[in-house]
Amino acid sequence: MRDTGLDQALQTFFMESRELLIAMEESLLALESAPDDTEAISAIFRAAHTIKGSGGMFGLDGIVAFTHVVENVLDRVRNGEVPVNGELIALLLCCRDHIGTLVEQLAADPDAKPDMETEANGVMLLNQLKAHSSTGQPPVAAVAPAPAKTQIVTQPPLDDGTVASDNWHISLRFARDVLRNGMDPLAFIRYLGNMGKIVHIAVLPDALPFAPDMDAESCYLGFEIDFHCDGIDKAAIEMVFEFVREDCSLRILPPHSRIEEYVELINDLPEDKIRLGELLINCGSLTKKELDEALRLQALRVESGQEAAPAETDAVSQLGDILVEQGMVQPELVDAALGKQKVAKENKVQESKLIRIQADKLDQLINLVGEIVITGAAVSLLAQRSSDSALQEATSTLSRLVEEIRDGALQLRMVQIGETFNRFNRVVRDVSKELNKDITLVIGGAETELDKSVVEKIGDPLMHLVRNSMDHGIEQTELRLQRGKPAKGTVHLNAYHESGSIVVEVGDDGGGLNRARIFAKALEKGLVTANQTLSDQEVYGLIFEAGFSTAEAVTNLSGRGVGMDVVRRNIEALRGTVEIDSREGVGTTVKIRLPLTLAIIDGFLMGVGSASYVVPLDMVMECVELSEAERYATRDSHYINLRGTVLPFIRLRDHFREQGKASRYEKIVVVQYGGQQAGLVVDELMGEFQAVIKPMGKFFSNLKGVSGSTILASGEVALVLEVSELIQRAVSLESHSISKV
Amino acid sequence: MNAIVRAEQFAEVANSEEGQDQYLTFLLGGEMFAIPILNIKEIIEYGYLTTVPMMPAFIRGVINLRGGVVPVVDLAVRFARKSGDVTKRTCIVIIEIKSGGEKQDVGVVVDSVSEVLEIPDSEIEPTPSFGAKIRAEFIHGMGKINGNFVIILAVNHVLSIDEMIVVNQASGTELEQLELA
Repeated sequence: MRDTGLDQALQTFFMESRELLIAMEESLLALESAPDDTEAISAIFRAAHTIKGSGGMFGLDGIVAFTHVVENVLDRVRNGEVPVNGELIALLLCCRDHIGTLVEQLAADPDAKPDMETEANGVMLLNQLKAHSSTGQPPVAAVAPAPAKTQIVTQPPLDDGTVASDNWHISLRFARDVLRNGMDPLAFIRYLGNMGKIVHIAVLPDALPFAPDMDAESCYLGFEIDFHCDGIDKAAIEMVFEFVREDCSLRILPPHSRIEEYVELINDLPEDKIRLGELLINCGSLTKKELDEALRLQALRVESGQEAAPAETDAVSQLGDILVEQGMVQPELVDAALGKQKVAKENKVQESKLIRIQADKLDQLINLVGEIVITGAAVSLLAQRSSDSALQEATSTLSRLVEEIRDGALQLRMVQIGETFNRFNRVVRDVSKELNKDITLVIGGAETELDKSVVEKIGDPLMHLVRNSMDHGIEQTELRLQRGKPAKGTVHLNAYHESGSIVVEVGDDGGGLNRARIFAKALEKGLVTANQTLSDQEVYGLIFEAGFSTAEAVTNLSGRGVGMDVVRRNIEALRGTVEIDSREGVGTTVKIRLPLTLAIIDGFLMGVGSASYVVPLDMVMECVELSEAERYATRDSHYINLRGTVLPFIRLRDHFREQGKASRYEKIVVVQYGGQQAGLVVDELMGEFQAVIKPMGKFFSNLKGVSGSTILASGEVALVLEVSELIQRAVSLESHSISKV
Repeated sequence: MNAIVRAEQFAEVANSEEGQDQYLTFLLGGEMFAIPILNIKEIIEYGYLTTVPMMPAFIRGVINLRGGVVPVVDLAVRFARKSGDVTKRTCIVIIEIKSGGEKQDVGVVVDSVSEVLEIPDSEIEPTPSFGAKIRAEFIHGMGKINGNFVIILAVNHVLSIDEMIVVNQASGTELEQLELA
């Protein structure tokens, strides 16, 4: 069983992995257009590497094993040993997806084994990767791990000064806090064990205090490890410990190091020297003879005292060379180190910019702020009654601040749509390959903000629409050229705010919808009758009907007639609408209009009887009084003459069956929606109001004409009207009553 | 705000061993009803209710419960009885309902709340097939208290959101027909 602390860390790992995978995908796509973008290559490598590293910490062997191979290939790409080409990128994208699948499967159930399909896919990818990791070598070698010689840049010659052992020697001293920082030293050693063979391990309990002084949460142990492994370099071993880099002191000696190195190691370490020496012998790193030699050397150096000093400085100056020469430090290691510093810096900057918060915490905060606003209003009311001017002033300052807090809190839930849009780069790339069409994606309005819950739910409908545009919308290249269009097709995604709602557009410059064909198909399916006259809009709307598809052949992507139906349902679930604008031969644009749930809108408050209603302020054109004469004239009809134009109106009092007598001076609020104007007759105009829209919940999901609710300063609830639905309802009511006659 | 009893206080009682056996009794049209206490979040004074147009009569409207909008059901109308007059003792009992994995708070209007009582399972009689003048599926059982019967409500049926949505739809068309007439 995992304890909860680790479980949380695991969740963080999954979340981070998803982000890293997204970053990896973006970089891969960037790489496709600019194959020698070293930044992108490094970014991909870093992502894979971090996933592997963190995965290892949690013992997620499946991910580690697979990612390790990917990382090897990426490493070769980074070193320029493997050329970047479309084929490789496609393979790496598949690998990315595979890692994603593994991560998701583990996220669903941390103890689950990958299913057969995934496993098979993984093996297939690994085989393909192997081909890349062994370019330039005979295929036989690809099966066996590459011999050590190819990896270790220089192998020091065996001379008198070197140690006979061909094992790596690793000295590990963990910091006291390592356990508190959530790291398990054992996990790293276990992980190391996966890379090669731990020949011998000696535990150093020297730092362990007496029992009464011991803190159970501190780590006092050190380890001396003799490690045997072919085909890895120092960097690889260091990377094992990368995640505890700051919490441990790590010294690695490559095989056949000079005895001096061991001497230095012994000197560096805090433990008793003779004991250490014995330990090293125990480990098998040194032979007895070698140790004696080492100790002699050491003694010699101490004796020679000052004379030795210049020699030592000399040694220091040469250290770099020697290190490289001995395979201690490899040239690429220096690059990696520099790169790592940079990454660390970038990460720091990002960390300071972003904090991860759970959504429900945020909702709770917003609810509390809402309560403060209401309580604040009550306090100001009391203060006004008290006629204490100082108190009044203080409360007014308070309420202003509270409002600022409210705005800020609500803003926290808003996210930019850009992230969702960017995901489509990959989709467009893959699909255009599959369809053998040349298509680019143009993104606009990426900074448009909308509620996080909406952003999450809009992904699927957008996916359908984009695929549809690419499959049905954009023509084959030859046809495009024939029609005088550029060979490259364009799909655009755009988002903007419009009259209190958010519009997301998916467009293409393809063939457009064929009105006649849609109509014919609808006729065939019995959706329309032959003598029906429909507007273009209505005809295009037919493609959202269930089971409707005009594609001649059902392709892998679309044509089954499920997509558009689902799109409309999903969007209606968000209380949004879909419109299609299309011109034959020029292109099609699908407009998704979404309400701003949980957003703040500038509303216009109006009273009908005892109730208050809000409409978005930007829909309100003007307010006019309904004069006595007009009132008399409109007893039966529902329109007035507004400066020469006909203005139909809805009397909300009647429409809502409000009890009580109407005000003597009724007013008309002129609202505009979708290019039309209409009037709403109300009793009272109560002015502008900044409304926090709250969804009405499942209970009222069938209620048309009300899009949400908001809480007034008095604590009462006011309903937010959805003008277009209200008018549609009025239209259908009227047409029914007319047809009945 | 105007909470008479907050759920926390109930929770204390509820957690003491057998919360399942405890019921809140209340009066509605002179008749005594009971609801399992575990479903109840809090009880608030009646007031500040906003009517929602185009809804069936048993939905009185919505209230603002600490920043959340909570629908309020008139239980009397739901039981096809006459809605009681609002008095000083009229209360809204906030009940938490689970519907398809989601939790939803719903308020019910009652004439007055009485007390929290323990009714062991042995004291609960099966629902009579008729006679209570309430739809049988609304009744969980008849609890015996001092020789008198109280109707223990099956909250999930009485306040079934799915059913009420259907009723909404039906009443919506009904309303339209009314308007047409």
